[in-house]
Amino acid sequence: MTHRPGDVVVTGVGLALPGAATPGALLRRAAAPAAGPAPEPFDTAVRIGRRGHRYKDRATRLALCAALDALRDAALIPADGEEVTVPGDTVGVVASSNLGNLDTACLTAAAIAERSAMDLSPMSLPNASSNVIASWVAIRHGLRGPNLMLCNGATSGLDAVHWGATLVAAGRVRRAVVIGVETHNAVVEDLLGRPADELLDGAAALVVEGARWAEARGVPAAAALGPYERRAGLTGCIEALLPGGAAPGVWFTPERYAERPAGAVPVPETVPRYDVTDAVGRSSGALGVLQCAAAVGWLTRAEAGKRAGGGTGSGAGDGAAFGDRAASDGGARAAPDPAAVPDPGPAAEALASVPVSAEASASASASVPVSRQALITSGDDTADAVAGLLLRPTPARCHRPPAARAPLSAMECSR
Amino acid sequence: MSQLVTGAGAVASVGEGVDEVFRALCAGTSGLGELRGFDRERYRARHAYEIDDRPVPGADLPGRATEWLLRAVGEAAAQAGLGEDLSEVPVLVGTGLRELRSAELAWRDGTPFDIGRLHFGTALRERFRAVRTHTFSGACSASLYALALAADLLASGAEDTVVVAGVDTLTESMYGLLDRVNGEPPDRVRPFDRERRGVLMGDGAAAVVLRREEPGAGTGAGPGALGRVRAVSMNCDARHVTAPDPQGIARAVHEAQWRAGVKPGDIDLVLLHGTGTQLNDTAEAAAIREVFGPEVRGPLMTAIKSMTGHTSGGSGLLSLIVALESLASGRVPPTLGLAEPLPEAEAFRFVRDAARDGGDLRVAQIDAFGFGGVNAVAIVERADR
Repeated sequence: MTHRPGDVVVTGVGLALPGAATPGALLRRAAAPAAGPAPEPFDTAVRIGRRGHRYKDRATRLALCAALDALRDAALIPADGEEVTVPGDTVGVVASSNLGNLDTACLTAAAIAERSAMDLSPMSLPNASSNVIASWVAIRHGLRGPNLMLCNGATSGLDAVHWGATLVAAGRVRRAVVIGVETHNAVVEDLLGRPADELLDGAAALVVEGARWAEARGVPAAAALGPYERRAGLTGCIEALLPGGAAPGVWFTPERYAERPAGAVPVPETVPRYDVTDAVGRSSGALGVLQCAAAVGWLTRAEAGKRAGGGTGSGAGDGAAFGDRAASDGGARAAPDPAAVPDPGPAAEALASVPVSAEASASASASVPVSRQALITSGDDTADAVAGLLLRPTPARCHRPPAARAPLSAMECSR
Repeated sequence: MSQLVTGAGAVASVGEGVDEVFRALCAGTSGLGELRGFDRERYRARHAYEIDDRPVPGADLPGRATEWLLRAVGEAAAQAGLGEDLSEVPVLVGTGLRELRSAELAWRDGTPFDIGRLHFGTALRERFRAVRTHTFSGACSASLYALALAADLLASGAEDTVVVAGVDTLTESMYGLLDRVNGEPPDRVRPFDRERRGVLMGDGAAAVVLRREEPGAGTGAGPGALGRVRAVSMNCDARHVTAPDPQGIARAVHEAQWRAGVKPGDIDLVLLHGTGTQLNDTAEAAAIREVFGPEVRGPLMTAIKSMTGHTSGGSGLLSLIVALESLASGRVPPTLGLAEPLPEAEAFRFVRDAARDGGDLRVAQIDAFGFGGVNAVAIVERADR
């Protein structure tokens, strides 16, 4: 662990997916995958236009769409612009993709064998480097902080969220946009040995931000990042995150998780489970970021449900920016409804045993009962490792009126 | 807060193991050769700095980068006394091109290759039982970026020991596209020379073991430490997808020195990124001149890509290991092929033609910059300070 609970929060979510425009919609689709014809592929031109993108690969364009959505959601760019309104060197980028530029590498190698290097288009050069996705996001929005590209297998998306939080906790940046993206094409389908309709063509993005910097900007947090673990197997990873078998409020399972026999189940069966890849296809390096986006949808709904039910909710208006922005979305009702799941019982109310910060602001988040937290896991026992993360609702402490513009700018420029 | 380097490993075209690589570089040995794994007729450039380990000459095979990485990590871990068990140690790998060469062979030629091995986690788990593995694909500064992240993990107290590594091999796609955009095809890498014609790729891997140094643990790094990492900066130009930006580079150099608490006048040696391209060398020279000001005549400077080629994501860490060896021995390898420096670098004290005894060298700066404007700069110092 490199950050204390509550220190790093999620202040923006962005999606570029077929058939799910919001975290809530993604959650509903994961609960009840739509039958019938597949939704149309996401049209990147609708969000970022066509000009200037001709030579970018599909993964890069999808990433730009998700990043734009997330930065706007986090109020880091104006409604009519793209340059961030905070100093560019206070914003980092962490992108995750395993398959993004496979097509450029393989098609270029094949074209050389058929003809020669002189017949290649020089415009392909940037796409031969795997970090092209993270680079373009930085260029488009003027993000001059550290710029990381994770290509780390099945856990890569969740690892990227962790590294985004680590950059913030280390003081390298005040916030980072974390993007998970994958696409499919002839090369990817051939090398994975899977048909296109099993594979994700989309992206998700989060803005992770130091809680105090979000507060200084007067921006609400949708969730707080809890501990992250990377272990050899699923059971060990979950045990490290939730000692003693405490039951989280929801579990976002690894891709195509098959339930184990009774007695070997790593998370109590009463806990609702979601596999976001049921909704959007096998997601490889995008998975962890997609899971976090869906978990934000779950937290928003669960907290709203608690308030509606007269529970001890964490404050009116919490996460208001993260409700179903597309009210007309009208997707299938999630079943089981996470907000309607009865309390698992006093035992599960045990607190996560993580170091509680001395700071009151941090301890407020660390004391959220496990039953209100979302457990996210990527990778399975056949992968190099399993990565896991807890996402928590945030206490109502980011709802003061926005700080006056002048002192905020002064602080931002103090670096 | 600084960190100790307690082990190092290297594999390159010029040799195997840190001692052999450093000796070869000081002897002015170049790894340059005719292309060994690609069909030469398909390119204008015909040379690269490859590791000559293919069982059948001319017939390429997958997984070579992974093998070098494992050897470099093994050497570093053994020297640091970690043995072969890295089950509790984070391993951060910086690479420009992962195992994309293997993917090219698999897709085009049907060569068997498990696509799950595009990143290095599986191989590191098999060999070292490593679980906390992270493959960063951050172009040509990737391994110094990984070093910066490792330093942050140690400085925060989250870890006591981290392994940092870098590796790359030539991909046909990158070699071919560079060949396409070069003006006149280069026959060798000539960093900072007026007649430089561009970059040629090289094979290589490098690894270090980084340990937390307890504050107040006394002076001197203790027996066995190879040196100390004082600070590493990382940033992004956010300007152009391939071309470097002197301003972004200058910010990275300045930030590294500021984080390390040193001034340009404290730097005794600079391992330049120096790729031999028109753009990099001009931008890097301008940035160094701007940050160093009148002190630019002070430090010795060299660019080892003149002998190793551009080892891409692994190049920064390879330069760092060479810098530590130079600080320890006083010997600085030369920049080969440097006849007449470009105007922006006229004042630089390059080591040319042959290795030079630099005397009492204490602090070194290492540069690494990559496509996408990703810059990282490290400041290291001799262990006995």
